[in-house]
Amino acid sequence: MTATDSGSPDRFRLLATCVAGRPLGVAEARAGEAPHTDGRLVFVSADRPASEQRREVLLQAALLGAGSLDRRWVRPLRGRPKVARRYLALEGHRVFAELAARIPLAAAVGPNEEATTASADESLAVARSRRTVADPPGWFGAIRPSRLLGAPDGGPAARANDDDLRLRFDPTDIPETPDAGDAEHGEESKILELFANPLASNIFSDFFNKLLGNSRSPGDGAAGGGMPARSMRRVDSVGPNARPLPVPVRVTSDTPGAAVGVGGALYPEWDVHKNRYRPEHCRVIEFPLRDAPDVAAAGVVRDEVLRRRLVRLGLGPKVVRRQPDGDDLDIEALTDLFVDLQAGYSPPEHIYLERRKLDRNLGVLILLDASGSTTEIDPEGLSVHEHQRRAAATLAITLEELGDRVAVYGFRSHGRQAVHLLALKRFAQRFGAGGRARLNQLRPDGYTRLGAGIRHAGEILKDDAGTPNRLLLVLSDGFPYDDGYEARYAEADAHKALEELRADGVACLCLSIGATTPIDALHRVFGSASHANAPTLADLSPRMDELFFAALDELAAPRRRGSRAARTRASSG
Amino acid sequence: MSTNRSTPIHSAAEAPYYRAVGNEVEVFRAAARRGLPVLLKGPTGCGKTRFVEAMAHELGRDLITVSGHEDLTSADLVGRFLLKGGDTTWVDGPLTRAVRQGAICYLDEIVEARQDTTVVIHPLADHRRELPVDRLGTSLKAAPGFQLVISYNPGYQSVLKNLKESTRQRFVSIELDFHPADIETEVVAHEARVDLETAQALVKVGEAIRNLEGSPLPEVASTRTLISAGELAAEGLSLRAAIQSAVVQTLSDDPDVVRALGELVDAFVPRS
Repeated sequence: MTATDSGSPDRFRLLATCVAGRPLGVAEARAGEAPHTDGRLVFVSADRPASEQRREVLLQAALLGAGSLDRRWVRPLRGRPKVARRYLALEGHRVFAELAARIPLAAAVGPNEEATTASADESLAVARSRRTVADPPGWFGAIRPSRLLGAPDGGPAARANDDDLRLRFDPTDIPETPDAGDAEHGEESKILELFANPLASNIFSDFFNKLLGNSRSPGDGAAGGGMPARSMRRVDSVGPNARPLPVPVRVTSDTPGAAVGVGGALYPEWDVHKNRYRPEHCRVIEFPLRDAPDVAAAGVVRDEVLRRRLVRLGLGPKVVRRQPDGDDLDIEALTDLFVDLQAGYSPPEHIYLERRKLDRNLGVLILLDASGSTTEIDPEGLSVHEHQRRAAATLAITLEELGDRVAVYGFRSHGRQAVHLLALKRFAQRFGAGGRARLNQLRPDGYTRLGAGIRHAGEILKDDAGTPNRLLLVLSDGFPYDDGYEARYAEADAHKALEELRADGVACLCLSIGATTPIDALHRVFGSASHANAPTLADLSPRMDELFFAALDELAAPRRRGSRAARTRASSG
Repeated sequence: MSTNRSTPIHSAAEAPYYRAVGNEVEVFRAAARRGLPVLLKGPTGCGKTRFVEAMAHELGRDLITVSGHEDLTSADLVGRFLLKGGDTTWVDGPLTRAVRQGAICYLDEIVEARQDTTVVIHPLADHRRELPVDRLGTSLKAAPGFQLVISYNPGYQSVLKNLKESTRQRFVSIELDFHPADIETEVVAHEARVDLETAQALVKVGEAIRNLEGSPLPEVASTRTLISAGELAAEGLSLRAAIQSAVVQTLSDDPDVVRALGELVDAFVPRS
């Protein structure tokens, strides 16, 4: 799935992370390109021996770690390659000397030259002066101001904005990071407003939305801005934050998914018109949200009804000892009873074993639709996205508390080459305040290529859940839409993806919360799996156990056939 | 169904080695004088057990250790009747023995045991200081010197495996963490009997792994793993190989992570 082989420079990533003090990936640069870094990735020269790449990584990471590549130092280097080279030579020797004191490897492979400057400030001053500075050795690589400045400011500590959350392949293609926060609400569409009635259902505006081939966002930030030009134009004036997005996103550099340190995977897509799969049609890229969130916003609504319902979910047989009644004698209890009777004590005669369906052993992956189509607002002022996000948090917390393995992923897409799966909580992680806050602050963006998202989530579930019972819980409005992914084609693909998963032994349950998608549309998309819709999660809670059972039960069916003999013995004995 | 899961540890004269970092020793001493039960929190392998051993030795009390596990019943703690020939004899459980002798009873990873089991310690852990033994129809007063210590690793545990509030609030909590680098170096050097330089290199590796941002590892390298690596090195293995076996391979099974971690470790090991 991931494109890492044994020789890949990816294995230097922990070393780089440690030296730089922040998460860094390592990738190979294009052939003939000098090693450099963009603040997130260190690019090492291709086709060089590992020892050479190792020290390249070490130097670039050390520069980042020492703060030599901070904006204030790099900005003056823009467009002045000679000064940049001199600065690199000075700083390289300086940080390497510092590093050598800490890390023996640096001392072993380093240039072992005395540092001539004491700080980045001094290095910059010397680099700009007329002093002679020896050329840096080749493995020092280069400083690329454009790439460094294109990267978001402040490293992992900075709040992520829309642009960070979206994966970028070539930072030079996209203008500087816009100011986050003020892009919250764009102008409402004047035309759609005519049809939107806050009291009645907005079937009419839905109809227009679909008729005009529009994604259903009423102009919220990037989602609206990313609309392809052939659809309607909905603003009376272009706001300061309006920016065109390339649709579809094309991988312009030769360092796709894998270079971001997380790997990309290709999945087929079902073409209902030709009745065949399109092989390797979608690229799904999975990456963690690493920004430090505002932990104050980590509150999650608890749902007692949901919890009580889900507690009942027992999937596997578990032996219960010391029962007053049961299938078998509990020898241990029997011995104890005998001893107790001998000792003149008369305990209750609980001496039976019972096999009850109590064992859960359940792994659940919650796949949350984080696309722009979920920004529709309901009468209470909550968007579909808001509803789904809350539902995801509540479900995840509840299931985790009940001892199930839970992962939460958000997904969105920007064309078939960029389907993003955002890891909000992996199976191995605890759903701590950080994870909860990240989920709470997730902002919808992009489109919904549902099929590819489901296929990749299924793979994660199969690989990482580690439990015999696996459930994919899709929270979506059931409105798949992306570039070249609409209407019947999209619905059929999502339908097919769910069908594939079920054939592989992964249960699927699709919940559509707060959305106004008509029932028959939901059925077309989610028809092959259990699905339900409701205005809020609380409306579904009282029958959540039934929904889980319905989804998981059909998977138990083939197993039952296989081990019928064992089961009949168990129940009759 | 064995009742000898417990082991009285101290008859030896040699004091167990423990280096205090914060005020844990003072807190423990004060709690011991008043007979207050103590809850030790801290990551795997940071020295919780060693701390209790050292304190028991200092206070001159016996230490009885019980490891919690899923099937631990209250009879395993309190005691039970056994058949001998046609007769039954009562055998004290570790907790009862500690109560009678006035020893320190250390319940390791008590959350692993079922919650109904942990309830038997309630009357011991408050002002009553007594252990009801219903099979014998008596209630034992704790001898002076009896103290209850439980440990708890607040790592990955679901709510089903958490301490009940009612249990928790009977305890005085002491939080232990990995020692600061200089002290940990001493500890590693002492325990593994390696020279300071080797210990320093080991601790540097440990720190590097602990401070990784966005680490793919569920648990970090504990002092215990560093000591094992030191011991391997003291037995003549190269430091690199020792760390590879005792730390890197122990922390992860994923070949990608092992390789990346190996690179990180190599950078910190001096070339010899």
